[in-house]
Amino acid sequence: MSSRRSRQAAGVSRISDDQIIELVAKLRQLLPEIRDRRPQKVSASKVLQETCNYIRSLHREVDDLSERLSQLLSTIDADSPEAAIIRSLIM
Amino acid sequence: MNHCVPDFEFDDDHSIPTSSVLNRPRKSAMAEEDVMELLWQNGPVVLHNQNQRSLKKSQPSFPADQSAPREIPSSHHHQQEQQDHLFMQEDEMASWLHYPLNDTNFDSDFCTDLLYPAPCITSTTTTTATATATPPVRATRVRDSRPQLNTATTVASAPPLRPPIPPPPRRTENFGLFARHMPREVASGPSNSKSVTIRESTVVDSSDTPAPGPDSRASEAMRSMEGASGVNNNNRCRNTSGAGAAATSSGGGGGSSGARDLTMCEMTVTSSPGGSSASAEPPAQKPAAEDRKRKGRETDDEYHSEDVELESADAKKQSRGSTSAKRSRAAEVHNLSERRRRDRINEKMRALQELIPRCNKSDKASMLDEAIEYLKALQLQVQMMSVGCGVVPMMFPGVQQYMPNMGMGIGMGMGMGMGMDMGMSRPMMPFPNVLAGSAMPTPAAAAHLGPRFPMPPFHMPPVPGPDPSRVQAANHSDPMFNSFGMQNPNQARASNFVDPYQQYLALHRMQLPLQQNQSMVQPNASKPSTSKGAENRENPENHPSGRLKSFDRVPCKGCRLPSFVV
Repeated sequence: MSSRRSRQAAGVSRISDDQIIELVAKLRQLLPEIRDRRPQKVSASKVLQETCNYIRSLHREVDDLSERLSQLLSTIDADSPEAAIIRSLIM
Repeated sequence: MNHCVPDFEFDDDHSIPTSSVLNRPRKSAMAEEDVMELLWQNGPVVLHNQNQRSLKKSQPSFPADQSAPREIPSSHHHQQEQQDHLFMQEDEMASWLHYPLNDTNFDSDFCTDLLYPAPCITSTTTTTATATATPPVRATRVRDSRPQLNTATTVASAPPLRPPIPPPPRRTENFGLFARHMPREVASGPSNSKSVTIRESTVVDSSDTPAPGPDSRASEAMRSMEGASGVNNNNRCRNTSGAGAAATSSGGGGGSSGARDLTMCEMTVTSSPGGSSASAEPPAQKPAAEDRKRKGRETDDEYHSEDVELESADAKKQSRGSTSAKRSRAAEVHNLSERRRRDRINEKMRALQELIPRCNKSDKASMLDEAIEYLKALQLQVQMMSVGCGVVPMMFPGVQQYMPNMGMGIGMGMGMGMGMDMGMSRPMMPFPNVLAGSAMPTPAAAAHLGPRFPMPPFHMPPVPGPDPSRVQAANHSDPMFNSFGMQNPNQARASNFVDPYQQYLALHRMQLPLQQNQSMVQPNASKPSTSKGAENRENPENHPSGRLKSFDRVPCKGCRLPSFVV
């Protein structure tokens, strides 16, 4: 019982720790800046921070691109397939 | 005013405690007046000697103040000698307050320091000293004289204190440490801490609560901080110390409220100037803060925090050996740093959670999972859009003929997308190359594919028609990401959010293997296994005509896929 309990407790923490480590590693791979750095030395806090920053920058980029696409859309014929494409792209 | 200062000091000391107590509240008035009042009220009680003299002079009116100061220098030493008797007589006076007066240390230069440094300080000092001095002085500690005055000075900086009624022994013991106290500005560690203690006790005593209680609490808080004995009567102190113990013992696993309190203490400590010992700070800070808040003396906070830290560290050191203190401190520091690190990570997780749309997961792992997927989707989206920006201008009029191809390609794209979502990024790579070379092949491909799909115009009408659907598709981002949290399986999610871009994928796919389009389409159409099944299965059937419909039916159960062509 005690062993199970301890194992459970340890198991839970182990699982979550491992999960978190794996997820942080995944995130790290996605992040362009950290990818090239020493892979093992980046702290979780830094990874999370970089993720937040990256997501924000991606948001900004999406907004910019949407704006550009909408401008393009206005320039082309609304019935053209390009318009369709653009509209599909614009969120 | 400076001249009056000595008056305050000496005369007030002579005044009766009660009168001094009464006079304390009136300190808001001119200090001189207060002093004068004290003198007069205490006239009969106060002194035999110079007081009477000063009293007589001051009695007529306040203007007597000016005369009194003049007398001070002359009567200074005179008063000193006589004050000895007086101080001995009165028991209530704080011993430490009377020290300077009784003492031979109480030199003229010493007095001058007090008298002439800063007018406000001196005046306040005197008033404070008066207040504290009113209680009869018990034991006269020579060494305390100087620190006393300094303390008084420091205390004076705080709001005027009521005459404390502390048990002299405790006071004395604190003051004993006080002996080492340098002027507060010098900021020596132990003395400052002690002064803080004393100040606290003074403050405490000044409140309505009985002196011993708060005083003991304050001193005990200092002593028992690291022990986390929770001896303190104060609930908060107890909780703090208990929490500290719990946190220490558990290695900061839980981050419970106690940990949070300590963390908050940490924050306050770090914010306060000169936090020397982090471990000692929070517990000491809390009780000190407690007392402070009770008294409502917030002006002392700044002084207290710093001094409390030092004091606690000092107390710790003194109570334990150096090694044990180091060890305990190291452990506490480690715990604190660990806690801080965890707090930082939690804070970043919260920020991340806010960024991710429709993330209702409180679990760290699942939240990170969603973050990863969202990040991938965002990257994909950005790629698609950038490609689209580049491709659209390059579209040729003959693009119409691509519609069917694109429709077909959607099946392919879907198949691709469903197979892998990581793989989505890969098809993107060749796009630029394809685009570069698209100028040439497009007409050829169009011509090539034209006969295959005899109904290019078929697609045109639907194009404007499905605008609403496209609009809905345009809102794809929402449903797309909505699918993250939805019950859609991973595959569905992957394909769902990729779908809006399928058209592009399809387009480029078409461009790539222009000759193989037919073959590609067929196999794709006949590859229901890779795709979600339904769509691909339908594709071959719908190729001739119902392509759009198939796309309508497509993948996203939850979201409207833009019949892309649409």
